[in-house]
Amino acid sequence: MKTAKKQEEKKPASFIEYLDFYKKNLRVFEGEKNEGVEKEVRIAFLSSFTTNGFKEVLSAKCHQLGLSPKVFIGGYNQYSQEIYGQSGELYAFNPQLIILFIDIRAIAGEYYLLPYSRTEKERQVWVEEKKEEIIALIKKIKEKSSAKIVFHNFEVPFESPLKILEVKEKFGWREAVEKLNEKIRESFKKDHQVFVFDYNNFISKIGKSNIFNSKLYYLGDIKFNLEYLPELCEEYMGYVKPLKSLTKKCLVLDLDNTLWGGIIGEDGLNGIKLGPTPEGRPFWEFQKYILSLHNQGVILAINSKNNPADALEVLRKHPYSILKEEHFASIQIDWDDKVAKMKKICQEINIGLDSLVFIDDDKANREMVKAALPEVSVVEMPEDPAAYLKKLESITDFNRLEITEEDKKKGKMYGEERKRLELQKAASNLGEYLKSLEIKITIKKADKFNLPRIAQLINKTNQFNTTTIRYSEEEVEKISKDKKYWILSVAAEDRFGDNGIVGVAIIKKEETKIWEITSFLLSCRVIGKEIERAILAFIMKNANKARASLVAGNFVKTAKNAPAADFFKKNGFKLVGSDKGQERWERKADSVLLPPNFIKIKEK
Amino acid sequence: MELKKIFAKVIGINESGVSGSLSRKNTVEWDSINHLLLVSEIEKELKITMTMKEVEEVKNYKELDLIVKSRSQKNKK
Repeated sequence: MKTAKKQEEKKPASFIEYLDFYKKNLRVFEGEKNEGVEKEVRIAFLSSFTTNGFKEVLSAKCHQLGLSPKVFIGGYNQYSQEIYGQSGELYAFNPQLIILFIDIRAIAGEYYLLPYSRTEKERQVWVEEKKEEIIALIKKIKEKSSAKIVFHNFEVPFESPLKILEVKEKFGWREAVEKLNEKIRESFKKDHQVFVFDYNNFISKIGKSNIFNSKLYYLGDIKFNLEYLPELCEEYMGYVKPLKSLTKKCLVLDLDNTLWGGIIGEDGLNGIKLGPTPEGRPFWEFQKYILSLHNQGVILAINSKNNPADALEVLRKHPYSILKEEHFASIQIDWDDKVAKMKKICQEINIGLDSLVFIDDDKANREMVKAALPEVSVVEMPEDPAAYLKKLESITDFNRLEITEEDKKKGKMYGEERKRLELQKAASNLGEYLKSLEIKITIKKADKFNLPRIAQLINKTNQFNTTTIRYSEEEVEKISKDKKYWILSVAAEDRFGDNGIVGVAIIKKEETKIWEITSFLLSCRVIGKEIERAILAFIMKNANKARASLVAGNFVKTAKNAPAADFFKKNGFKLVGSDKGQERWERKADSVLLPPNFIKIKEK
Repeated sequence: MELKKIFAKVIGINESGVSGSLSRKNTVEWDSINHLLLVSEIEKELKITMTMKEVEEVKNYKELDLIVKSRSQKNKK
């Protein structure tokens, strides 16, 4: 307990504390020590004004996430020179993330305070010109760098010389800036590399009059009140976390005084506070927000010391409980300690402790989990339930840079998985269980609809993956257009629900009539159901139909892909070559491989 | 927080080394940017406001201390 408290005190919070933290750890931040590629994050920050302090706070924030940051700060108002590469420094730095912050005063120039010295037509032209300028800037970055780009939209000015008539003016000044923001947003909506950061929205939250300190501006061209730099950099961390795969997957929730007010074992179903009353509303809304996270793919779990029957009754019967049993992938309710239950949740869902975010109103429970399981991210919940929702809304741990249809379904799928496990426990043997699942798989050639998910699986799957070759979405698209290749996606469903696309195979058809399986992977969610054999049988059948002579499979051993190690062997392939963990397996194409009889295969 | 503490943190020197004779001329770390950070921090922590003229003209710690003291007294009234 004592050590945990000490750590908390050390954590910087205000701008000045961050500066101090940076100065005291100069050796960590400016040393050349390399802690490996995985932990390294390279951020370039380019802006139109004085940026003192950004490097320090950004570095410290990354450090708090366990990353080893390298931060490049562009010269004062040199963003376009950096981008157009006169010095070449920006690209030589090889950034993974480029933050571009051009402020409204810089882009509006002298018209910032004299917007109506331009006619309506001129304002229209201005918006169009600025939009083109920005698109050209970003295009240039994309040509030279594969870094993710975060572009700040513009602050919509708070003041207007027209005062109350601003809204009556045809294409008024505020409207012009809003239009510019809208055009920029639309331009990059489908761009996987560019993210428009809604800076105008961010400063509305803090307050436009707070963010601008005129003295700092006049004396030092500082256009962002440094006091709020930690908040701004926290927003940047929202991009850094998914970029460095630090995102969390599962929200673990306590029950009493977290999901409802009061203690169910004492207050009873009618006594707890939950629903449209002053005391019940904070919990009711908290639950609603949790459900909205779940609908975006966040997995939910319960970790509560309670009598299971009492607690489950709330989820099943309380009229205002938004969260139901089916939303949870793991329900751990008993009188064991919370640390043991946390481990059980990980086992049941098959995810790591570092994928969990824990919410509990009780400080002692939080400290216990923090001390025993430092990988778990523990939320410092406010004492007052009225502040619960705001706290949860501020969490960026579940951020993603891209979300596929499968991601959105994920939370639900895990709830279904829990029901499968219950069935498995009840079934007398594995064969009977698999049969009762009524598995159906749908095999489909790669197309523009399933491409994002195919690329995601190719880059994420570690366990059942024969070669672990990674391709970007652009590369997969290119391969899919090559006639020599056949990329297939496999979707799976059963009586409990739809798992979406869970498998990918890439087959290279050699001229010598050899079909070579260069990639074969399956999401860990569906391992152990013999779906892999059904897919392989499907490939063999097609190879035979196409009069190929051989089907070959490659296997490259990694630290994590043991589940796929005997895949070819188990399915009658012969080892024909082996070199340093790289194996080649073959089987005659006309030898029939039967798919499991409990799986229905559909081709689309 | 008192002025001495804020000054030591922003300028990056030991609190025991802070004295009235430290000036913007003889203290390398007290450069123009740190000076602005210092003012912004003082205003926030001590809940006072300095005018632009004061910010520009203050030459040493002693003068800064005097400005802060006069403001704090005004606040008390």
